Amino acid sequence: MLPWVYEFRWDAGHIIFLGVFFSVLIIIASTLMRALMRAIGDFKNRRVDHVMWEVAFEDLPEPARACRHQLSGEVAHRTCPNEFDCRDCVSHELFLRANPVPPAGTGPQAPEEEQLFGLSFPLDRYYDRGHTWVKPAADGTLLVGLNDLGTRLLGSVENIQLPEIGSTMHVHGTAWQVSTRGADTRILSPVEGTVVDVGGPGKEWYLKVRPEGNGDALRHLLRGAEIKPWLTRELERLQFALSEDGVGMSLADGGVPVEDLPRSAPKADWDAVWGEMFLEA
Amino acid sequence: MDQTTVKKSRYGMAIDLDRCTGCGACLIACAVENNVSPGQPKVNERNGTTWMRVFEVQDGRPFPDAQTAFIPMMCQQCEVETPCVSVCPQNAVEVDPETGIVGQIPQRCLGCRYCMTACPYHARYYNWWDPKWPDGMEKALNPDVAPRMRGVVEKCNFCHGRLHEARARAAAQGSRQINPSDYIPACVEACPVQAIAFGDLNDESTDVALLARSERAFRFLARLGTETKVYYLSGRDWVRRLADRELARSKKETLHG
Amino acid sequence: MDKLLITRGVQRSPFWKFILWILPWAMLLAWGLYGAYLCLAEGLNQTNMDNRFAFGLWIYLDLTVIAFGAGAFFTGFLLYILKRHELKSVINSAVVLGLICYSGAIVVLMVDVGQPLRAWFTFWHPNVHSMLTEVTFCLTLYLTVLILEYAPIVMKNRQIRKVPSYLVFEFNLHKLMVVFAGVGAFLSFFHQGSLGGLYGVLRGRPFAFREDLGIWPSTFFLFVLSAMAAGPSFVLLTTWLVEKLSKKRLVKRETMSYLGKLSGVMLIIYILFKSVDTLIWINSTSPSSGFPAFEYYDRAAFGTWVLFAEVVLFGLLPALVLLRKKLRERMVWLIPSAVFVLAGVALNRFVLTIQTLALPTLVFDEFLSYMPSWQEVATFSMVIAYGVLLYSLSFRYLHLFPQERELTQPY
Repeated sequence: MLPWVYEFRWDAGHIIFLGVFFSVLIIIASTLMRALMRAIGDFKNRRVDHVMWEVAFEDLPEPARACRHQLSGEVAHRTCPNEFDCRDCVSHELFLRANPVPPAGTGPQAPEEEQLFGLSFPLDRYYDRGHTWVKPAADGTLLVGLNDLGTRLLGSVENIQLPEIGSTMHVHGTAWQVSTRGADTRILSPVEGTVVDVGGPGKEWYLKVRPEGNGDALRHLLRGAEIKPWLTRELERLQFALSEDGVGMSLADGGVPVEDLPRSAPKADWDAVWGEMFLEA
Repeated sequence: MDQTTVKKSRYGMAIDLDRCTGCGACLIACAVENNVSPGQPKVNERNGTTWMRVFEVQDGRPFPDAQTAFIPMMCQQCEVETPCVSVCPQNAVEVDPETGIVGQIPQRCLGCRYCMTACPYHARYYNWWDPKWPDGMEKALNPDVAPRMRGVVEKCNFCHGRLHEARARAAAQGSRQINPSDYIPACVEACPVQAIAFGDLNDESTDVALLARSERAFRFLARLGTETKVYYLSGRDWVRRLADRELARSKKETLHG
Repeated sequence: MDKLLITRGVQRSPFWKFILWILPWAMLLAWGLYGAYLCLAEGLNQTNMDNRFAFGLWIYLDLTVIAFGAGAFFTGFLLYILKRHELKSVINSAVVLGLICYSGAIVVLMVDVGQPLRAWFTFWHPNVHSMLTEVTFCLTLYLTVLILEYAPIVMKNRQIRKVPSYLVFEFNLHKLMVVFAGVGAFLSFFHQGSLGGLYGVLRGRPFAFREDLGIWPSTFFLFVLSAMAAGPSFVLLTTWLVEKLSKKRLVKRETMSYLGKLSGVMLIIYILFKSVDTLIWINSTSPSSGFPAFEYYDRAAFGTWVLFAEVVLFGLLPALVLLRKKLRERMVWLIPSAVFVLAGVALNRFVLTIQTLALPTLVFDEFLSYMPSWQEVATFSMVIAYGVLLYSLSFRYLHLFPQERELTQPY
């Protein structure tokens, strides 16, 4: 195998055969090393949250990955290529130019509170695809909470793990974790920044975050007229997720999802439903 | 003559099938010389070890005209494209360029048996069992030949123990050239009818070189192109036709192995 | 009970049912391990192989499973290098199958050789002219590649993925998968070929010996082609089987049909070359070494029907079915055709291993038969059981079919 090993000869056969062997070995080893180095780089650059979300997003069923502009009817079919992060999306820019959406709370007909399918979705705030909302506060911080559907989906939470004050949030990293009925669910963070205060279930908000970055911080969040088509799709997804294993529970048209969904349908596979609705594979 | 160069030899054999009586003395002499262990209780014709196998063939004519011949078959020492050498993955089979003998190196052998499938003469044997000798018999082992362990392949090597001894004897006399009478394989020595001639085919004066050129000489499966160095001699046509499938077929005789 | 290990949102049978399914296979595995242990501890006298039948059931099994396992490299090559994205839904399953086939083959090989502890000699003192050396090197390297392709699938298990370092490494490894797909295709080309070359170089066995094309005998290329035909069929057939057993739709019908098409295309090319090769061999190669070819088909059960079955029944016939879009889109045609493709390739490996050794070379020698011993059958079953177990575990706890959730949710 090596030039000093008995039976080695410097002939064409040995040179070609072992040359190819060692080349392949080096390619395999260096690729492995490269993956390792990149992984270490991701840790150093604090990209872990981003990577974990990217992997989860890749594993979502295709219909769950629909672009917000497909939901709003601007395009017939488009799967989001940016893991629901529209901040650098060129297409989003183009869509916005054709069909501008004003910031939350500034639309022409913005009532104080809007009821959608019996759920409370105030228009003064922004909504993330992971069922959280973001409301800019007067002091420049952002308030983060769970939207009405999300709250009803989880029902009475048995255990909640909120982040420590001072910890950093990344867009679509883990904001907090809840565990109910033996299943863990992580709630995606809608914004980037430092946690300055924590609330929790029963309070008005869950987190108070001092945002980082430029004014685009909320660009990827749904607002105003975008909320209704998205919520329609979400209720459809919920309906399918619930009817999947024959529980037969139905959210009849116009019917209001009850306050505590898990309690009203204890037989449903809530682990699967939460995975589906909170975008966790 | 330069003392450091050794004349290259091509050791070969010529076996006279018209003389062979099928007595089997060669088999026994071979096994004793090369420390081939006795068969285990469950051994059969197909998994036992004998470096030399004697086939019995008949010409198929009815009694009293029936004729029988015996064909001792061992490693034929292929010279060209030696089938077992090129297939061995770890160089456990090598042709010695100085003697032309195909050597099997059991210490390197993996026991994959690829060489056995490659050999057209089925002259290779695998150690299916651990070698065992009855009590006391181990004292009769030949100290010049290492016994082989289970799981490796072995075959005829023209009694390499004897070759080494002849070389040692020559060295003791200050020569690098062995005396031909010092190197005679066990089967040759044991044959009561002297049916086997052995020697250097490169040396035109040896019996074996003369016999190999005789009209009675032929080699088995010569058309495979492996240029074996074991020649067979027979004056009988039906025996000579056994060398080749097509020849054998041309004369519609029933043959019994 | 084990619910938290199962991918979110997919339905798997209850744990007790899974145990019931696993149990008989585990027992078969235990029996096989005992047989293999006997062969290792007592020696190969436990088998019915002998000096003439130096290869037997095991080598046949190795050649066959490695041909079937070709689906892993072929699918990977088409997906990552030729960007046939429709194969994404079966790539994980193909990788698991490949891993099972190759690791199983290597385990059996280690039982098959008489001195397994000397296997490293082949690496340290290689005879670079031996086909078996090429096979050994490529198999080892390719098994490494398969493990690296399987690792990301494992790391995406519901619980294991929660460990950030695993998931981040998986993420980066997956991005470089194109390199492994390329290396895998390169290695597979050589070892599938060398396995064919194994027989093609046997000058002393004119039944197997073939003329050289370049530096390899024609069987080298025939094995590559036939493995590429068998691979997709095997992926197709196992997917169908898993669908039937789990009563679920796992991949789209178009993907199934596309796999069938791949098999069909490769098979027709293979059959074409195989026919030409056979004609050259019958009329020139074999007679010129003194062996009239018709004699080969004159013994025991090995009539010319073998050749007919290999080329027409299990070759041309399924190829023509699979090449017709209308037929391969219907399961009643697609599945039996895939079975026929696999049967043809298995028969080819059988003929080259068993018939080659059964046929005599010397005129006065006889045609021999061989029947494997229970220890050989046990070792064989060990690999089958191991394969079923590893696949079952992978199917239950890993996300093998990315389209599964989509196909069970009618959006």
